Amino acid sequence: MGSEKITQKILLSYNAEKAGEPILATVIKETGLLLNVLHAKINSQGGEIIISVEASPEQVEGILNRFRSMGVEAKILRQTISLDRERCIDCGACISVCPTRALKFSKEWEVMLDENRCVYCKLCTEACPMRALSLTKLE
Amino acid sequence: MTMQKSIQEINEKIKRGEAVILTAEEMVELVQSKGPQQAAKEVDVVTTGTFGAMCSSGAFLNFGHSDPPIKLGGGEAFLNDVPAYTGLAAVDVYIGATAISRSRGMEYGGGHVIEDLVRGLEIELIGRAYGTDCYPRREIRTLFTLEDLNQAILCNPRNCYQTYVAATNSSDQTLHTYMGMLLPNFGNVNFAGSGCLNPLTRDPEYRTIGIGTRIFIGGGTGYVIGAGTQHDPQRGRGTLMVKGDLKQMSPEFIRGATMSGYGCTLFVGIGIPIPILDERMASNAGKSNQEIFIDLLDYGVPKRERPVLRKVSYAELFSGKVEINGKEVPTSPLSSLKMSRKIADILKKWIEEGEFLLSEPVERLPQTGVFKSMKEIQIIPKVRDVMTKKLITARPQDSLVKASELIKKHSIDHLPIVEKGKLVGIVTSWDLATSIGLGKRTLAEIMTREVVVAREDEPVDIVAKRLEQHGISGAPVLNKKGELVGIVTTDDISRLWGRRR
Repeated sequence: MGSEKITQKILLSYNAEKAGEPILATVIKETGLLLNVLHAKINSQGGEIIISVEASPEQVEGILNRFRSMGVEAKILRQTISLDRERCIDCGACISVCPTRALKFSKEWEVMLDENRCVYCKLCTEACPMRALSLTKLE
Repeated sequence: MTMQKSIQEINEKIKRGEAVILTAEEMVELVQSKGPQQAAKEVDVVTTGTFGAMCSSGAFLNFGHSDPPIKLGGGEAFLNDVPAYTGLAAVDVYIGATAISRSRGMEYGGGHVIEDLVRGLEIELIGRAYGTDCYPRREIRTLFTLEDLNQAILCNPRNCYQTYVAATNSSDQTLHTYMGMLLPNFGNVNFAGSGCLNPLTRDPEYRTIGIGTRIFIGGGTGYVIGAGTQHDPQRGRGTLMVKGDLKQMSPEFIRGATMSGYGCTLFVGIGIPIPILDERMASNAGKSNQEIFIDLLDYGVPKRERPVLRKVSYAELFSGKVEINGKEVPTSPLSSLKMSRKIADILKKWIEEGEFLLSEPVERLPQTGVFKSMKEIQIIPKVRDVMTKKLITARPQDSLVKASELIKKHSIDHLPIVEKGKLVGIVTSWDLATSIGLGKRTLAEIMTREVVVAREDEPVDIVAKRLEQHGISGAPVLNKKGELVGIVTTDDISRLWGRRR
C-alpha cells in the first residue's frame, strides 16, 4: 500500500461510563501507533481528549473506528490556525493563555506558532489585541 | 572627584560623532560588569524604548473650514463611525483611543482610527452642528486622509508608566481586563512594561526627563509636555504627558488594539534618551530586571484596592513563569519587548548619526504626586441591602412535586437545595418545567450543582454583572462563613436601579 503519512488531530469524547476504562492505552497497544495526547480534560463525568497521530489515511480511519467500537466518540479536527505576521506586534498576550504551549517566544522575543501542538481552543484569538490569530474551519 | 557632564557637552560630542550611546540593555551589562563609576565615564547617552497599550492617548485633528462653514464645536463628529470629542473650536476635534465604533463596537475604536490615519487610509467624517449666523451649515460628510488635515497632533495625557503591575485572577471565572484575558484559578499572569528598557525606570529621580524633553514617539520625534495624570513617582508610578506629530509617525509604532471584553486602546511606541551626567545616573540606568520589582495583583477581587499577592521582578516575569502558591503559572508581557528593543535601537542610531540631539528640560517634573481615589457621594449598595432574606429551600431527596408546590406557594423562581445546612445545588422553575415527563423524581437528579453564588458584602453592581455573564436570573447569597443567608435576583436589582433613576 505505502500511503503517505499525514498528521491528524482527533477529538475523543468520553461519556461517564467510559471515562474510567483504559481505552486510549488499548488503541495504542493494538495499533502500535504513537498517539500524542495534546489536551485532556476528563473526570468521572466524562470528558475530552485531543490526540495527534502521524499515520496513513487508512491507519487514521482504523483508529477512528476502533475508538468508536469501544464507545468513544471520535472525530478528526478539520481546522487550521494562522498567525498574521503583518498584524502581530509580538506582545505575547496569546502566550500565557495557550494551554498546550503551541504559542511561545523565540530567542528574539518573536511570537511563534506551532500548529502541531494547537488544540483550537480559541483562547488566543480572543486574547490577541491585534486580531492577528485566526481559526479557519477546513472543509 | 566625581565626574559631571552637561547635556550641552553631550550634544557637542554627538555633533562631533564622538558620543557613546548604549541601549538600556547594553548599559545594564556594562554597569553590572564594570560598575557605575566606569560606566559614567564611558557612556554619554542610554536609549530606552517601550511599546505598550496606552489608553490615555488621542489626537487633536484640525480639518480646516468647509464651504459653507460648519461649527463642529459643540456638535457631533464621527470618524469611521467612532465618536470624537467636539467641545473645542469650530473644526478641531479630539479622537480618543478608547472611543468605540457605533456600528462595530469594540472591534474598532479611536486607536484604530489613529492607526488608519497614520497608514494614510481614507477616513470618513460625519458631523452635525446646530448652525449659527457665521457657521450656517448643519451637516457634513466627507472623506479625508492625514495629508488633508492642517494638524494632526497626538497628545496623550498619561503614557509611559515608570513601572506597571502584573495581574492574575484567583476567581473561578475568566476575566476580560485591561491587563488582557486572565484565566480562572491563577491560570496565567499578564504584565505590562519592558523592564529595564522602560524609559522612566532609567531616570527615577526625574533629573533629565522633564518638560521639553525630546523623545521618539510613534516613529517620529515629539516632546514630554509635562507630568502625566496620576503621576505618582514616590510609589514608582510616574507618568508622562507627551505629544508628537502624527504626520511624522509610522504605523509600525502606532497600533490600534482591542482588549476583548474590555475595550479599545492604542499601542504607542516611545523611546527617551537618558543623558548619563554622573555616576548616580549611570547607577540608576544600570539597574537590571532582577532589581526592578512590581506588584502582582489579584484581579479576581473586584475592588479598587486589589490584594497584592507579592512583589515580583521583571526578571522572573520575563522567564515565562512565576510561582503562585507553589504552582508555576505562565506569564505574558502585554508590551512588546521586541518592539521596545527596536525603538531603543532606532533612537540609538538617530543619536549616533547626529540626527537627534538631546534637549534640556525647561522645568523638572514634580517629585511628588497626587493619586487620590474618586470623591463619591453615593454609597454603593451591597447584596445584603437588596437580597431576599426569607429563605425557602428544599433538600436533594425532595420530590419534583414538592418543589413545584414551594415555588407556587411562595411565588419564587429559585429554590436553593440544602443538605446538612450547606448549599449543594439550585433548582429553578425553568428546571422543573423542562423536567416534566422525563421520569425524574428527586431534585438531586435535576438540580444545578455548580451554583453561581453571591457574597452578602459584595457590591450589587458586581453581582449584576455576574448574573448577566452567566445568563441567569438569581444567585444564593452566602455570608463570610459560607452559610446560606438569602437569595438575590435580577428583580431585586431592577427594583434598586429603578429607584436610582
